[in-house]
Amino acid sequence: MRKPDGKIVLLGDMNVGKTSLLQRYMERRFPDTVSTVGGAFYLKQWRSYNISIWDTAGREQFHGLGSMYCRGAVAVILTYDVSHPQSLAELEDRFLGLTDTASKDCLFAIVGNKVDLTEEGAPEGREGEGCSPRQAGGGPTSPRVPKQVRLEDAMAFYKKILKYKTLDEKNVPAAEQMCFETSAKTGHNVDLLFETLFDMVVPMILRQRAEELSQTVDITSYKPPKRTRSGCCA
Amino acid sequence: MEAGGDTAAPAPGGAGGLEDTRFPGEETDDSEGVHAGPPHLGDGDLEETGSKAKDQPHSPSPLLHSEGPSSTRTCQLWDSAASESSPMGSPESGSGGQGGDPNDEDWRSQRKHVFVLSEAGKPIYSRYGSVEALSATMGVMTALVSFVQSAGDAIRAIYAEDHKLVFLQQGPLLLVAVSRTTQSAAQLRGELLAVHAQIVSTLTRASVARIFAHKQNYDLRRLLAGSERTLDRLLDSVEQDPGALLLGAVRCVPLARPTRDALGALLRRCTAPGLALSVLAVGGRLVTAAQERNVLAECRLDPADLQLLLDWVGAPAFAAGEAWAPVCLPRFNPDGFFYAYVARLDAMPVCLLLLGTQREAFHAMAACRRLVEDGMRALGAMRAFGETASFSNASSPNAPAYSVQAVGAPGLRHFLYKPLDIPDHHRQLPQFTSPELEAPYCREEERQRLSDLYHRLHARLHSTSRPLRLIYHVAEKETLLAWVTSKFELYTCLSPLVTKAGAILVVTKLLRWVRKEEDRLFIRYPPKYSTPPATSMDQAPHNGLFPGL
Repeated sequence: MRKPDGKIVLLGDMNVGKTSLLQRYMERRFPDTVSTVGGAFYLKQWRSYNISIWDTAGREQFHGLGSMYCRGAVAVILTYDVSHPQSLAELEDRFLGLTDTASKDCLFAIVGNKVDLTEEGAPEGREGEGCSPRQAGGGPTSPRVPKQVRLEDAMAFYKKILKYKTLDEKNVPAAEQMCFETSAKTGHNVDLLFETLFDMVVPMILRQRAEELSQTVDITSYKPPKRTRSGCCA
Repeated sequence: MEAGGDTAAPAPGGAGGLEDTRFPGEETDDSEGVHAGPPHLGDGDLEETGSKAKDQPHSPSPLLHSEGPSSTRTCQLWDSAASESSPMGSPESGSGGQGGDPNDEDWRSQRKHVFVLSEAGKPIYSRYGSVEALSATMGVMTALVSFVQSAGDAIRAIYAEDHKLVFLQQGPLLLVAVSRTTQSAAQLRGELLAVHAQIVSTLTRASVARIFAHKQNYDLRRLLAGSERTLDRLLDSVEQDPGALLLGAVRCVPLARPTRDALGALLRRCTAPGLALSVLAVGGRLVTAAQERNVLAECRLDPADLQLLLDWVGAPAFAAGEAWAPVCLPRFNPDGFFYAYVARLDAMPVCLLLLGTQREAFHAMAACRRLVEDGMRALGAMRAFGETASFSNASSPNAPAYSVQAVGAPGLRHFLYKPLDIPDHHRQLPQFTSPELEAPYCREEERQRLSDLYHRLHARLHSTSRPLRLIYHVAEKETLLAWVTSKFELYTCLSPLVTKAGAILVVTKLLRWVRKEEDRLFIRYPPKYSTPPATSMDQAPHNGLFPGL
């Protein structure tokens, strides 16, 4: 049985593209939008490690579960929509608090999705499909708009997080490394985001394993109390 | 039915034809109610009551801005639409309505509208059109309700020409159906109850009540965002694939009995801590279910709750990954959450739902799923599902169905069959079967027509004042025969050229076929799901005490 080694959680307001980012990375496609119910669990083999990824619902309805998905997480991807400043503000207001249950050395990535919708756009579709982003963005659904959230805003938010978590800037990756602008539609920066994160997470997994030998905090090995006598026979 | 509605309802303009006073589904009976209705609705009384009810949102814009960030964003999108809508009259008065909604014609030509609003008149859901543009309309509805309420009564239905307006108050929520389908008021009420159950299943009754007690003009759309599609699908299914809601029964995947029994045994074998219920389903149809008696002891799952779960797991959100989400079963306990593990099994259209009481049990459930998956592989169950799928003529591979041709009764186009003679010990799992909808019922309008006919016959059979047992109905494009006995309830749709004798022959053939196939069509002996409750009293405190989020 494959047991996940480390947990990454995608957080962010509804409709910023969390599910789309993950599907673009895992399945190399950009499917129709569906509204996530609760959270969806994926397992990604990275080198010899099984990394679990939780794609959570941004809907307020499921807010109560957020801290559960985050428990023991080694990395959290905070996602916003570059064309909606409010979605960045929501990260601070609604989602940052959920990460209190994450592992204490948890990594934070700030991701501005939907750059294909903005005028600056993605310079080129990195590993995207044949069509150029210019074409994709010029489709009937999405006229280009000026970008509403600048990368610097995301970096400022990153520094705020460090302050909130009372982390020393010297001990964690720099903001430049952890702030991404992506497009799930064209694939721009999507692989970079996930693979950068996976590489950073691996040493943490090893550290966690070492610690686990002394103390057990990992929820994944949670053994519930015996509840009935009948057990599995019936 | 509760008494008391009858006296006060005529108050708004004397339009109160009340549901029990006429035969459901008989338009001709509506004659007296018609003329009094619409004109009065529009002008006189409503102005008055509208101002009486305080906090009525007359203009849509201020209320949109008062809410939190997420709704502010949507309101930018809708603002233009909303401001145009202010001169709206009373579109729900049917034929006489004079415009207002931006998409006027389209919107008003819909056969059936369903609205959900808060007691304060705040829009929560509308099947068609943007909720924001309908603020004024919803204000009128609240006014109607509170006017009747002020007389110490409750409005239940208004019959106006070819429209029926059905009102349902559930706690702080008001649900309204405005329909010109043939559905009876009772059927519409059933639909509204299902909509309400759907809302409760995502939020719980307690939290809805708490929210509105705390803030009367809360915008519940914030919490329901993303669930609207589920409501849309529920309402569409009534018109496009009738049966489940109409008959109050679940549809089963046809499957050879040994396979089904083996799967049932497999589900019983695979347990996890706190697991209460395991369900295997394909395309919203039940394969088998197993209920854990230790957790759900005496409480048996209500069929409406099971149907709700079947609809729920059909959502596209569950197509990928392994989902973990809270869900409330309104009939079982409207105030608490279960936690549901939902996954499509390995390359199969089969969906596994594991419902438990423990919030943190995801990984235990995931382990349980692997056991089920391995077990199914060992049973060769995929092959069985493959066969089921090929038995069907075509349609989507996700919905294993069978063709009406399988019956071998020429002239038979479609039917709904609900057995009533099932052994007493599993009466709690009402089921029905029907073949897939084939030509000529491929297009939306044709399916609606068939659905209308079924609803109409159902209303006549179950009329409270004059119930019937057998109806032979010659419609314009088909002939229908509906028949209810102590053993079954049956609706058949036949070719229009069939004779009465021919119809009887077809029905006889159909009944014989069902008898022959019943082990495959229905879960005759549901596993554990129906075993008598465990007697151990010490398990009882676990029931219904799952705290909300």
